Amino acid sequence: MHPIAEALRDLEEEKVKLLVDEELENGTPVMEVVGHLNEGMVAVGELFSAGDYFISQLIFSAEIIKGIMGRVQPMIQETGTASGGTAGRVIIGTVKGDIHDIGKNIVVSLLRGSGFEVIDMGVDVPAQDFVKAVQESGAKVVGLSALLNSTYPEMKNVVGAHAEAGLRDQVQIVIGGTPINEQVREFSGADYYAEDAVAGVDICKKAYE
Amino acid sequence: MTEEIKKLFQERLGRYQAAISLEPTDRIPIAPGSNYFAEVFSGNTHQETLYDPQKWLEAEMAFAREFPQTDVLRDNRLWGPSLDAIGLQTYKLPGKDLPPDDQFQFVEQEYMKADEYDLLIEDPVDFMFTRWLPRILGEYNGQAEPRSYMAFLKAGLAQAQFVQIMRNRAMRLEEECGMPQPMTGAFVAPFDALADAMRGLTGVIMDTFRQPDKVVAACDRLVEEMANFALSTADPLKRYPIFVPTHKACFLSPEQFDTFYWPSFKRVLEILTSAGYKIRAYLEGDWGPHWHHLLELPKGTIICDIDNQGDIFQAKRDIGHHQCLAGGIPDSQFILGTPEDVRKRVKELCDTLGQGGGFLIGGGCNIPHTTRPENYQAMVDAVLEFGRYDETVKPLPKDTAGPVNVKAFDFPKKLTPWEVKKKEIGGSVPGDENLIQEPWDRLEAMAYAWLWQWTM
Repeated sequence: MHPIAEALRDLEEEKVKLLVDEELENGTPVMEVVGHLNEGMVAVGELFSAGDYFISQLIFSAEIIKGIMGRVQPMIQETGTASGGTAGRVIIGTVKGDIHDIGKNIVVSLLRGSGFEVIDMGVDVPAQDFVKAVQESGAKVVGLSALLNSTYPEMKNVVGAHAEAGLRDQVQIVIGGTPINEQVREFSGADYYAEDAVAGVDICKKAYE
Repeated sequence: MTEEIKKLFQERLGRYQAAISLEPTDRIPIAPGSNYFAEVFSGNTHQETLYDPQKWLEAEMAFAREFPQTDVLRDNRLWGPSLDAIGLQTYKLPGKDLPPDDQFQFVEQEYMKADEYDLLIEDPVDFMFTRWLPRILGEYNGQAEPRSYMAFLKAGLAQAQFVQIMRNRAMRLEEECGMPQPMTGAFVAPFDALADAMRGLTGVIMDTFRQPDKVVAACDRLVEEMANFALSTADPLKRYPIFVPTHKACFLSPEQFDTFYWPSFKRVLEILTSAGYKIRAYLEGDWGPHWHHLLELPKGTIICDIDNQGDIFQAKRDIGHHQCLAGGIPDSQFILGTPEDVRKRVKELCDTLGQGGGFLIGGGCNIPHTTRPENYQAMVDAVLEFGRYDETVKPLPKDTAGPVNVKAFDFPKKLTPWEVKKKEIGGSVPGDENLIQEPWDRLEAMAYAWLWQWTM
């Protein structure tokens, strides 16, 4: 494992920054550095899935990456290496009637950290906006997030709206959040429910395999 | 109050208190903490419950009549006008910021900056007035303007009205329905005070890695404040537990919990239990890695509401011999399940969690707004069928009345106690000082507590 990936896995923020700076100064291509960060992120995800890391550590690792990506993004655009380099495109949002976004934001950070292009629709998103985003972006995965258990009917409504628009076969709909379980997935007609943030990322990866 | 209602009240409260203390009862109490279903059961919109105290109470009474086997009842905790008076930014309210039939929602942001810890630690009240309150109270922008002064005046008047509304509710539920409260008064863990309405989750998580000592010091500083607020809002007769929702523990690793969350939280719990109170703690999310700590508090003092993500059967094995557990029926089952599903679940709970007592049946920290009435009824019926212990055991309410002893700090806290004022005016008064001091200090204490409610 590359030292950058290792430092990120161990949540050593200053070390990650230092190593990234060194690599870039030595002329390492920026996408190679991003690759090391992705490798570290995967390691963090594995530790989370194994129960060694908790959500706080996921959040912190995502914030470390966010800080670095903010700095290297202009370089990526300069070199033009971003096009075609994404792991896939994912639409995500908190459904209508709910304005909570802690869970959604964790998933967004992890997805971006894993190389996905994420279209973050924000909170309180109407069903039609999800449909429109699918039509415009061609994304294969739509993630619906919620904290409130009053959103079950809305989850079903979003799934129904995709069916009505003739898009149901083109997208996989994943639901996640505190009140979500298999019973809710079945009720809503979604394809998957994500038990946690890392499970959600894994589902997206599968969809683009 | 008729004799029949009085007897019913005593029976319910006795059953509830006995289960909390892990003592024998006639059956498993039906005692959810937050019964959101009750506030909309009569057909109220969410806005009506929050803005119209009469409709709120009518909803509760209709619920109490429809489901008389429910042992305690509490639902909504906000009165919209008291938040509007001061322009609270941390909540979006139905009918005002949201459609009338949406539930109120918390708006988490970075209301305290990462470099403001020292200000909070050195002088919390000054920090509040100069930094924090201007950001969360929209009608108070931190400026000495007529509108700000009016906002505080309105908010104080509204607070007095709200206290009256709450007192009236509890009294009428007791006297007309024989219905006790599951809890009275509230606080949050020091870490949650910091994490919810000050730094926000992401902010506080960053801080635990980047400036851990500051987080610990701030939590230590908030111990007395949270205990003071809890005791200021608690039932003076100590019949009912004090409520604490624990919001952010579930995001922490065990090491972080032990460092940042538990030490200060434990001290608040110790202050409250040694003052003679029980605590009803919503263990939100999965507290599995942390709940063994509750063995450190005296037996039968903390009611642990196990959330949907927690394994309540494991909780029974880990801590059920020492603290009372509550919950057991997943939200999704109340909302999407069938009465038969609920019946099966209740039987399973009675056969396991119910063994040996110390169990309150209900949902995972709440009964959802959108519960199917037939599912709530199925829970009640199944408890009557499977949840009986010994019909001859009829525990009476405990004799809890007595002084509230607080040794840890000078309770209740005040910004300008009478002693300070007295010095300012020369050290003595010509008349009866008691007639002046008692109301002066009482109003000081009420105002001080009012300040801290915005951390909830």
